Amino acid sequence: MESAFEPTEPNTGEEFEPVDVFPDSDDFDLRPGSDSCYKCSTCDTNCPVAEVDDEFPGPKFQGPEQWRLKQSEDDYDIDDSVMDCSNCMRCDNACPAGVPLSQMHNTARGEYVSEQMDHLSIEYWRNRILSNYRTSAWLASKTPRLANFAMNLGPARWLMEKTMGVTKEREFPEFATETFREWWDKRGAAAGSKERAQAARRERGLPEDADKKVAYFHGCYSNYNTTEVGKAMVRVYEHFGYEVVVPEQGCSGTPMFANGMLEDARRHAEVNVSSMSDLVDQGYDAIASCTSCSMALRQEYPELFDIDGIDDLAANTFESIEYLRIHEDIREEIQAAEVSGELADEFAYHAPCHSRNQGLDRQAVELFRELDGAGIEDVGESCSGISGTYGWKAEKYEKSMKIGDEMFDHMEHAEGETGMTECPTCAMQMEHGTGYDIRHPLELVEAALVDGHAV
Amino acid sequence: MASVPHIAVIGGGSTGIGIARDLAMRGLDVTLVEQGNLTHGTTGRMHGLLHSGGRYAVSDQASANECIEENKVLRDIASHCVEMTGGMFVKRPEDTEEYFEEKLEGCKACDIPAEVISGEEARAIEPHLARDIDKAITVPDGAIDPFRLVVANAASAEEHGARIETHSKVTDLVVEDDEVVGVEVEHQTGPDKKVRGTEGGTEQIRADYVVNATGAWAGRIGDMANVDIEVRPSKGVMTIMNIRQVDTVINRCRPKGDADIIVPHETTAILGTTDEEVDDPEDYPEEGWEVELMIDTLKELVPMLEEARTIRSFWGVRPLYEPPDVGSDDPTDITRDYFLLDHEERDDLHGMTSIVGGKFTTYRMMGEEISDHVCDQFGIDAECRTAEVPLPGSEDFSVLRDYMDEFGLRSPIGRRSVERLGSRAEDVLNTDGPNPTVCECEAVTRAEIKDAISQSGANLNAVRIRTRASMGNCQGGFCCNRMASELHGEFDEQITREAWDALLQERWKGQRHALWGQQLSQAALNYALHATTQNRDNDPADGEPVDFAAFDSGPTPTGTSGQTGVVTDGGTRDGD
Repeated sequence: MESAFEPTEPNTGEEFEPVDVFPDSDDFDLRPGSDSCYKCSTCDTNCPVAEVDDEFPGPKFQGPEQWRLKQSEDDYDIDDSVMDCSNCMRCDNACPAGVPLSQMHNTARGEYVSEQMDHLSIEYWRNRILSNYRTSAWLASKTPRLANFAMNLGPARWLMEKTMGVTKEREFPEFATETFREWWDKRGAAAGSKERAQAARRERGLPEDADKKVAYFHGCYSNYNTTEVGKAMVRVYEHFGYEVVVPEQGCSGTPMFANGMLEDARRHAEVNVSSMSDLVDQGYDAIASCTSCSMALRQEYPELFDIDGIDDLAANTFESIEYLRIHEDIREEIQAAEVSGELADEFAYHAPCHSRNQGLDRQAVELFRELDGAGIEDVGESCSGISGTYGWKAEKYEKSMKIGDEMFDHMEHAEGETGMTECPTCAMQMEHGTGYDIRHPLELVEAALVDGHAV
Repeated sequence: MASVPHIAVIGGGSTGIGIARDLAMRGLDVTLVEQGNLTHGTTGRMHGLLHSGGRYAVSDQASANECIEENKVLRDIASHCVEMTGGMFVKRPEDTEEYFEEKLEGCKACDIPAEVISGEEARAIEPHLARDIDKAITVPDGAIDPFRLVVANAASAEEHGARIETHSKVTDLVVEDDEVVGVEVEHQTGPDKKVRGTEGGTEQIRADYVVNATGAWAGRIGDMANVDIEVRPSKGVMTIMNIRQVDTVINRCRPKGDADIIVPHETTAILGTTDEEVDDPEDYPEEGWEVELMIDTLKELVPMLEEARTIRSFWGVRPLYEPPDVGSDDPTDITRDYFLLDHEERDDLHGMTSIVGGKFTTYRMMGEEISDHVCDQFGIDAECRTAEVPLPGSEDFSVLRDYMDEFGLRSPIGRRSVERLGSRAEDVLNTDGPNPTVCECEAVTRAEIKDAISQSGANLNAVRIRTRASMGNCQGGFCCNRMASELHGEFDEQITREAWDALLQERWKGQRHALWGQQLSQAALNYALHATTQNRDNDPADGEPVDFAAFDSGPTPTGTSGQTGVVTDGGTRDGD
């Protein structure tokens, strides 16, 4: 199966060359969006950064206002405050008039980074390295034990903060000694998955050739760090009779959008769209276990890039729990199940901002509140504050923690001492602020439904 | 006669102010009177096109020649009022090839730089042009801010000793022995009417010569001395879009017709226009179909206009004039040229000349010609310098700065401010105190508002035309109150309220013609905000005392023990 996906890797390793990211095209025209704003400022009152940072002018200024003010024959500069936006995208949800705020922010930030930022500056390279986490993670995964030791070494971290502006307050995530993809290959890859899915279908009394096939977009984090999430996804989907394939893939682009590195994001998007849209053509649905990855494929891709197949991919991408809630009677199975062991626990659940934008903020609570042996409590609708790479920047760390305060507080008051969320960086922040272990909903589904998940 | 003749100029539009500046720079003693604010008449109600002359290149080459000449001059002397957007005449399939060729030939004959580009090239410049545009002719059209230009001319005239009186209406001409020797003026009173001479009441201003530059109102001044000036006022509608659908002036390449131009103006685009003769320049119908005509016709050039947001519409009245023997029926046939009517030659009335017709783009040239004429009357041989000396604000300056370092302003806010203020930017924007943005849509800060107040007093419409504050997409919904509060300290509550009310009324006037879709949402939001935070929904507490006894005391508590109900304000009783 996988031999069908031979991604071309354009431009890798070459010097960064700013190109016209947004060729004049009706698809990317932001005029109608700017017309829709009637200045009500609901976006500003929902912006977690504006709440803690009085200097930040807020999403209304960053989006429709700045867009309108800079229309002219002459080239206007983008205000540098666009780099203080964390791209949590809450403004998109807040706006009563449908202004595509995050698209406007991404566009402005891309222009700022490409046209105005000094490409020799430390900030630029720090941001570029942070947003290209996949590259660092790939490198670290070659020697995971050494990486885990070295990356969190005091003097090394001190040096990184001083020279690169990466905060030394946070612990680097641990790298798995075996990546998800290594595990997947060993386990028999797509062929193995097909067999298991067929067995599951037989057990369920479904036709053996039932059209149940999904392409898994694991993202970087499930591959290099929390491989248990990726494994849970595969086992849970096979349990429901789905054949899983794991196509060639790069980063979803989420950290790159947030840092205005749109050329990097485009390069990865080309790989992802190419391989994933081929599968969509063949009847696969695209499933992500990270809500920011599904957000990128669904919303940011078609808003920012014009790549063949991108709209089809966007229309056929789902988050992993969402998909099962749509197509399977997962609710009934969960109701009938009882969880025991390590995951028989009380969970303090935080819905990531990006899940909120996809309407998924209640899915875990609605699902697990009926599960015997485990409890779940929603810790409220505040933003965790880390927003991917944002909270890793030394100058943003304090703000990030201040935004997270409300969530930390609610987690402390929740019954459980284990956290739960769909977003890997929210998980980092939850762990950092409370010391709790953080799990992904798929892990609990797996514990509840999949017997003795050995393979 | 005094050694320096005193000239009275009637009319504070572009023509009058251009004459006042010219005469003052030549060393004459000048008083200009205007019945309202500067630009009160036609100047404040135009689409802001800096003509290349292309529009007249076929039908009126004399005008076209003047336009291209003055176009170059204004780019130079009024750079902070001009945005050189460039323009094009676009040809749709149904527009004739013959006219396109005539247009091109005409431009060449008038030395207007013109080039033919393909439809594809035109769309590369303006992506929102209709797909079926055949081709286009590019010309050096531009956009110009008439308010800023007139204010700068007034400032220059004052620097050269002229007296500029706004809110001073001419009630009569003083005529002695068939000679006009002055004007009777009624000054409005109040601190919002910046009157330099006698505040309030009437004044007789004696003058050695009077220039009637009142445009569409010229006939009224003529009547005061029993001379007949047949101005034929013609109204035209202009519709303002929230944003710029095009960054280039787009003209339709066809002989004549309504709704054939789109001018990108600051943050907006202005659609124009119609041409219909009216009887009274101050009283004519403003009709919805005229606005619809703009959008329906111009969407043939730029289809996205159909769905785009309109923020307001306004009407202006052209001061068209043609010699009585021509007798055109259709106002679109009347020449756009200007005429100098020497009443001595024409009517045996000495001491006064009227200037009628003409266009905004050639205001300076008209000023020069009439100033020459005035100087001739007194045998003065003074050189006109208005084509060389830049207007205040247009002396050497650059918009490319570090706005945050220099003025503490966010980049687009600083840029817009400096573009408006030109070389005055440092003086105005370098302030000690905090300088918040007052009008967010147009990026106007407190410092700029304060500067405008220092020029025009407690008149927020005068502040508006100087700064563009309240002229953006919320149409003052969020900033009128902030602008009014900048009057605090210098003016008392009564005056502030009046100025605030006047601004809101003016803003509402044009918005009435845009009440659908997004601007209707905006108006509804503005209404709710103004009602709930400023008591502008005719709250009964405003005026008559409230009869609290008329309110009942709420539902009677029913029965069960311990349930004592709520108090009348909805809260619970203490101790419950």
